[in-house]
Amino acid sequence: MRLHPLTTLTAACSAAVVTTAAASWPLSVAVALAAVLLAARAGVAARVLGAAGIILAPLVLSLLVLHGLFFPEGQTVLAQWGPARITAEGLDFALELGSRTAASVLLLLLFSFTVSVPDLVTALAARGVPPQFSFVLASTLTLVPAMAGRLEKIRRAQEARGLVVERGLLSRLAAARLQAVPLVLGLVEDAGARAQALDARGFGTPGPRTSYRQLQDPPAQRILRAAALLLAAAAVVLRLVTAWPAAVPA
Amino acid sequence: MSAAAARIDSFSFHGDAGAALRNVQLSVRPGTLTAVLGGSGSGKTTLGKLLAGWLRAGHSGVLHGSLALGAEVLEFRGGSGDPRINPAAWSGRVGYVPQDAGAILSSVRSTVAEELAFGLENRGVARPEMIRQVARIAEQTGLSALLDRDPAQLSGGELRRLAVACAVIVEPQVLVLDEPLASLDAEGAGELRALVDGLLDAGTAVVLLSQAADALARNAGHWIILDGGTAVAEGPPADVEKGAVLRDAGVLAEGPDTGTPVRLPTAAAVAPGSVVPGSVAPAAAVPVLELRGIGFGYAAAKTPTGRPAKGPAGSLPASDLLRGVDLTVLPGEIVAITGTNGTGKSTLLRHFNGLLRPQAGEVLVEGRSIAGIRTGRIAASVGLLFQQPRDQLFERTVLREVGFGLRRLAGSPEAAAGRAQEALAAVGLSDAAQAHPAELASSRQRLLALATVLARRPAVIALDEPTVGLDRHGIERLQHATAAAAARGAGVVLVTHDLAYARTNAHRVLALDGGSLREL
Amino acid sequence: MSQQPLTLPDAGSRAGAAPRRRMLEIAGAAAIAATYVFLVLTQPVEIANGPASFSALVALGGFLLGAVLLLAAVLPVLPTSTLVLMPVAIVLNVVLGQLMGSTGLPFYLDAIGTVLIAVLAGPAAGAATGVLGSIVWSFFNPTVLPFAAGAALIGFLAGLAARAGLFRRFYFAPVAGFLTGILAGVVSAPIAAFVFGGTAGLGTGAIVSAFRAMGDTLLAAITKQALISDPMDKAIVFTIAALLAYALPRRTTFQFAFVRRFRVLAGKVPSDPAA
Repeated sequence: MRLHPLTTLTAACSAAVVTTAAASWPLSVAVALAAVLLAARAGVAARVLGAAGIILAPLVLSLLVLHGLFFPEGQTVLAQWGPARITAEGLDFALELGSRTAASVLLLLLFSFTVSVPDLVTALAARGVPPQFSFVLASTLTLVPAMAGRLEKIRRAQEARGLVVERGLLSRLAAARLQAVPLVLGLVEDAGARAQALDARGFGTPGPRTSYRQLQDPPAQRILRAAALLLAAAAVVLRLVTAWPAAVPA
Repeated sequence: MSAAAARIDSFSFHGDAGAALRNVQLSVRPGTLTAVLGGSGSGKTTLGKLLAGWLRAGHSGVLHGSLALGAEVLEFRGGSGDPRINPAAWSGRVGYVPQDAGAILSSVRSTVAEELAFGLENRGVARPEMIRQVARIAEQTGLSALLDRDPAQLSGGELRRLAVACAVIVEPQVLVLDEPLASLDAEGAGELRALVDGLLDAGTAVVLLSQAADALARNAGHWIILDGGTAVAEGPPADVEKGAVLRDAGVLAEGPDTGTPVRLPTAAAVAPGSVVPGSVAPAAAVPVLELRGIGFGYAAAKTPTGRPAKGPAGSLPASDLLRGVDLTVLPGEIVAITGTNGTGKSTLLRHFNGLLRPQAGEVLVEGRSIAGIRTGRIAASVGLLFQQPRDQLFERTVLREVGFGLRRLAGSPEAAAGRAQEALAAVGLSDAAQAHPAELASSRQRLLALATVLARRPAVIALDEPTVGLDRHGIERLQHATAAAAARGAGVVLVTHDLAYARTNAHRVLALDGGSLREL
Repeated sequence: MSQQPLTLPDAGSRAGAAPRRRMLEIAGAAAIAATYVFLVLTQPVEIANGPASFSALVALGGFLLGAVLLLAAVLPVLPTSTLVLMPVAIVLNVVLGQLMGSTGLPFYLDAIGTVLIAVLAGPAAGAATGVLGSIVWSFFNPTVLPFAAGAALIGFLAGLAARAGLFRRFYFAPVAGFLTGILAGVVSAPIAAFVFGGTAGLGTGAIVSAFRAMGDTLLAAITKQALISDPMDKAIVFTIAALLAYALPRRTTFQFAFVRRFRVLAGKVPSDPAA
């Protein structure tokens, strides 16, 4: 069964919203594990975990240090060195927020690494999203992977001109200026030519557009999406209702 | 009645001081081929884009003149009351295929069929009609077998045909082709010529913009020669070809007269009255560049930085690109290396300055091995000119570009400035010293990159396809500059697919065949 | 294919759509402002996961709603020349932002592309780039999505600064950046506080820890950290964007009507050339 891109998007977002609203770390951890399992099944586990690692490691470390050591509202002190106090409440807070963020990140990464961009663009166009949005989205997602290749090509061209890149950070930063200019100039020049072509091919005209590519959208998936949205809405309302009296100061 | 006509009294881009085009008239009738010829920077592309609505008055610059499609005439006076062209509607009547074929693609469509349909989608054409149009145009341009391919992975010839198809799918009455044969091999060029013939038969007016009076241009019924933004000659090809106007405008004429042969200095010659330091009889001269038994293959190469993957000593996998390449270049010698695309000519050049490291054999520059020395340091002795100079240029003015890093090499700021001016003069760019490199015409950008190499006075100069994209003036400058460098004692290696140029301008011509070099 | 007219109607005759766009813009800005005020007023005195979750949902919902409304108002009227630059700008944001994120320094440097577009194409385009950039970057790093409103604010303020001529001289640009950083940092602080419970980097986390050690609430500590990091970061960003804008050839920068009309960049605008 081929999943419509909006189905995966709705599912990922709803799950993230429900996890955030539920505010319970066992649920967050379970959702995170489920996301990893789904990623493994889709064959993108390595990439998802890699990206998640780069994003979450500094965040989780920062949370542990921040709330583990400095949590003025904590009562149960486990250890103390000067102003730094390890409190149970602090660790608890760090754990809950960290797991909640991890779950959301893993869900959204699962979506972005499994979605097919042309399908997503077609689905958005069918829903009436302005074509400018899908153009910028698709264009950037095509450009980012090509960046590394372009930078490499420029670096070699510079080296052939006598640029010596030492291993030090300062030297690399100085070299970065010399690589940034041709990179940006090249990209801007390409963009200028493309703008003329897009205008000539009718991109800037307002008015109805049709789509050559077509997607299947079986009713089962539409029902699934509606159900997911309802679930998320219910979770949000529940959280707002239960937390509201405590949140607003008397 | 003409299908389209343009009368350009003057056109200048926003932000530019001078006019890019002055006093040019163009009128095309259905079913005819018109050729607009001119050297690099003469304004051909600007004229073509103005005719096709890609550059528009008010939006891109200030236009005085008029444009006419059929019976509709639009007058422009350079003010805010001028008509504003609707680019989508205009391109339904006049199509344009840019010099860089990929520039016309939307870049956000994943298959050739969707790319073709992009223009129709924007016009709200119903899906069954779109499918029919795409099939029709694919048939006409020979793309039927490629409809499911990713446009980013097409070959040069296929991409060019896709670009033409994207412009022609809306059935314009006029089609402007900008340098359509550039960087196409013989097969691709033949396919494109057949395509143009088909369009002419169907009644489309075709305007060809070109730097060379090649076979396609000779089919034209009418020629316009542009030089420096104005039309210097017009008329049937036979009339225009008489006289020196083609040569003065920088247009290449294909035929027996390809390039002016330059008398080459022999390797041991010393110009009367000057002494070439360190010159000795050739037999005893230390070669400036020596390649001994170079072996290299991409499949086995480890990392993009070219760190060598040491294979078992003496045995190399059969898939290697270069096998046992030996080359010796003496000071003052010009060597040309030819070969078809894909045989590894560019790969070989990249070994000279260490961008690629060989998996077998060694590279010696001025008698010393370069193994273990960083590319940036080797660049003081080996100057490499890339095919795409844009990646190498990063300063704000031409003069600063040439002067980069010279102070350390030349010793004093005065010497550095002197060398920079000398290099600019050698390539004919002295008048453009304060221009922004990105604003130069492509031919002059190439020459600027050459100047940056010459200014450093390296012992070895390596040029990757130097003639591509150069107009006649550019090629003459290139010939003089390389001959002068060789006379000074540098060794020059050029890689080119243009055998005629190689024979007239090199002491030795080698062919890269099956991974090794042989004399021709 | 239907025959469209060859020329466009005059620019002034598009008045029909403008009020609706204006309403969307105001609604978006109002949503962002209202959310911020609400969060500050209702920040939980006792910080615990439940109330933090409530604040997170309010912050996410309000800010994202505002950002999307702004995008919907601005995007359909951006000219193609701006739209094709946006992927370039977003790529600059993403590449530099990820690089800085991995070094652990208390800087972000993730708004250079946004400011560049704002300088060339105006405040609306800058805001749209901020939002779109956050959305696209979230495909690789979902933690940036909640900051979309802050990114829009940076783009908007940069465009205003360009319009006021602050990019004509090199030394004004960092000042404009400094002021923008103050405002943007303050607006983004609740996101960091309630959605993430802290900050995403170690350098910034250390600064927040210092303030927490002195007994501040989480929101106050993060706001103070933002007031330290963001102004400097944005000053650097504005300077780099100005350098890039001046490194581009004039033919490229002057094709933008915004640059010509408000004389954003220094240098003589050539008068009508003699024939």
